[in-house]
Amino acid sequence: MDRRLFLNLLGKGVLASSALGIFPSLVWGKTSFDYALEGQNLIQSGNYDGALKVLKEAVRLDPQSDWTFGLLGRAYRGLGRKAEAVDAFRQAVRLNPEDVYSRMMIEIMTQKPIPKLKKVKKPLTPLERNALEEEKRMLSRLQSDEGLEYQVKRVVIDAGHGGFDSGAVGLNGLKEKDVNLDLAKKLHQRLQSGGEVKAFLTRTEDYYVPLSDRTVIANQYQADLFISIHINANKNREAHGSETYFCAEKASSKEAARVAALENAVLKYDKPFKKRPGYIDIEEILFQFERKLYWSESGKFAGGFQDRFKQGLPLKSRGVHSANFYVLRTAKMPSILLETGFISNSNEESMLKQPAFREKIVDAIMRGLA
Amino acid sequence: MRNKTGVRSQKSGVRKKYIIFAVLLFFFSGGAALAVDVNDLIFQGADFHYKGKLDEAIGKFQAAVRIDSGNEYAHNQLGILYAKKERFGDAFQEFSRVVQIDRRNTFALLWLGILHLRQNDLNNAFEKFQEIVKIDPDNADAYYYLGAIYNFRHNQAKAIEYLKKARDADSGEADTHYRLGKAFHNVDMVYNALLEYDRALELKPSYTAAINEAGWIYYNQGSYEEAIGEWKKTLRINPGDGDAIFNLAKAYNDLAWKALAAGNRKEAVTYWKKTLGVNPSNKAAKYNLEKYGK
Repeated sequence: MDRRLFLNLLGKGVLASSALGIFPSLVWGKTSFDYALEGQNLIQSGNYDGALKVLKEAVRLDPQSDWTFGLLGRAYRGLGRKAEAVDAFRQAVRLNPEDVYSRMMIEIMTQKPIPKLKKVKKPLTPLERNALEEEKRMLSRLQSDEGLEYQVKRVVIDAGHGGFDSGAVGLNGLKEKDVNLDLAKKLHQRLQSGGEVKAFLTRTEDYYVPLSDRTVIANQYQADLFISIHINANKNREAHGSETYFCAEKASSKEAARVAALENAVLKYDKPFKKRPGYIDIEEILFQFERKLYWSESGKFAGGFQDRFKQGLPLKSRGVHSANFYVLRTAKMPSILLETGFISNSNEESMLKQPAFREKIVDAIMRGLA
Repeated sequence: MRNKTGVRSQKSGVRKKYIIFAVLLFFFSGGAALAVDVNDLIFQGADFHYKGKLDEAIGKFQAAVRIDSGNEYAHNQLGILYAKKERFGDAFQEFSRVVQIDRRNTFALLWLGILHLRQNDLNNAFEKFQEIVKIDPDNADAYYYLGAIYNFRHNQAKAIEYLKKARDADSGEADTHYRLGKAFHNVDMVYNALLEYDRALELKPSYTAAINEAGWIYYNQGSYEEAIGEWKKTLRINPGDGDAIFNLAKAYNDLAWKALAAGNRKEAVTYWKKTLGVNPSNKAAKYNLEKYGK
């Protein structure tokens, strides 16, 4: 083929394909765009029934067009079918969050109650079938309480320190990590045997668990309460007694800040929420609310817990304190840190060595949790 | 979340002509008997609002309510605009005004509830949302907030009850499916939880919280690779997702211990290296690599 003929054929080909691109309906029939355009004209002339018919076709041909769904919403609205109209407008907004008209229509139309939209039943997927079976089996067993009382059905027990991190060590060599683990295991067993509360441990042996992992475990099990067990220490060998801590931005005292500093030793990943001007993120309001709620709930719980915990224990109650503990900060549930005596006090160290005294502490924790 | 509360997607739409036509069509075809200038002001206000010009929008809506003090939509818009400007007291007044005009304006009641939540006033928020469902038993938003409140109280039976109502009234919100998934997850109804997380992700594929939670279901069932796959998926969407980073680090640490217990030191070392790959400050992995990695 010579060059001239080739260029000639190429030119004709381009022309033909351009024509198809501009007027595809001439060759292939009506497109979604054609139907949508026709629907728009019918809406303008007030023929909503006609518009609905062609717009449904447009949607069938192109279910990703926010423009078509917006028109469909208008056609439904013209026919007084509010539920369908809102549904179509919502679909338009889902496809294009910047579709301001559809958004405005939703806002205007949903200011007051609208009829419920009937949904088309589809065949169940295998997961839906399993879910339905599970629901039949389990949902009726759930106890539902009307009040807004905080409910504790799952507890994650954290034995502080472990492995290479022995925690505080007493004058006679007692290691905090060992007492913590023993107490945690005993408490776990007691809670499990009670049958009303599910309990989980952050560690079951003498190994180190990073602080971040401990609250991750609480989140892993969707815990309702996180309790971290520790033994206190102080340069002043006379210091003694038990105390309960909860998380707060500011420490309640210098001593509380010191205890928190002792327990905190990891990189912080928390990023402060950056608020955009002129923007309200409702989920962020809920998130902030939830966090404050858990912290205030932790404070309330810690108060009641310490009151019950101190009864029947030969330990002075040093009360409830707050500080910014990393191990508590990232928990997505109320959480407390319990200091069950001072290992640096020789009298308390010798008590903490005794299995019978440890049982008494577990009794006290159970009382505190009740 | 919640497009229908009018707080998302504030970027201006481009198709102004389309909007003008549509708004005029709405007002005239709806047979609204309001003065045209009020409609003009409302449209201009809405247009400014969506363009993010909040002060100009406030000016227009203020002018609209001066002419038509009973215009619920204009008062509601003013309420949202004041909330965006952090004038929460003014916002509260606007929504309260709407409720005075018509106690059935569920949009204003919803916002009053949200503003109570913002003030940590749980009981009043709860009351407002309950008031809405009495007026409109199909109000998905009110059910959503009631379910979320029960979620916060870890009362999962009630959370499931209300969030299911929200889902059934309008399954189009990813947040509803996510919170319902969490409620199911908390009572070990894992198929239902997975189904709701899936539904949340269908609506919003970047919903990393749902991906992370689904990961725990797989993990707790012993499907470690599947769980790890989920958290990696999160990191592809958001490389800084703290939850996914910590979840992965914990999973790798666990797998390392498992391998070591099975006598496979080499595999354990590989997992600890992976731990440090996602969380370089992980003390356990650092220590164990030093101890077992030589």
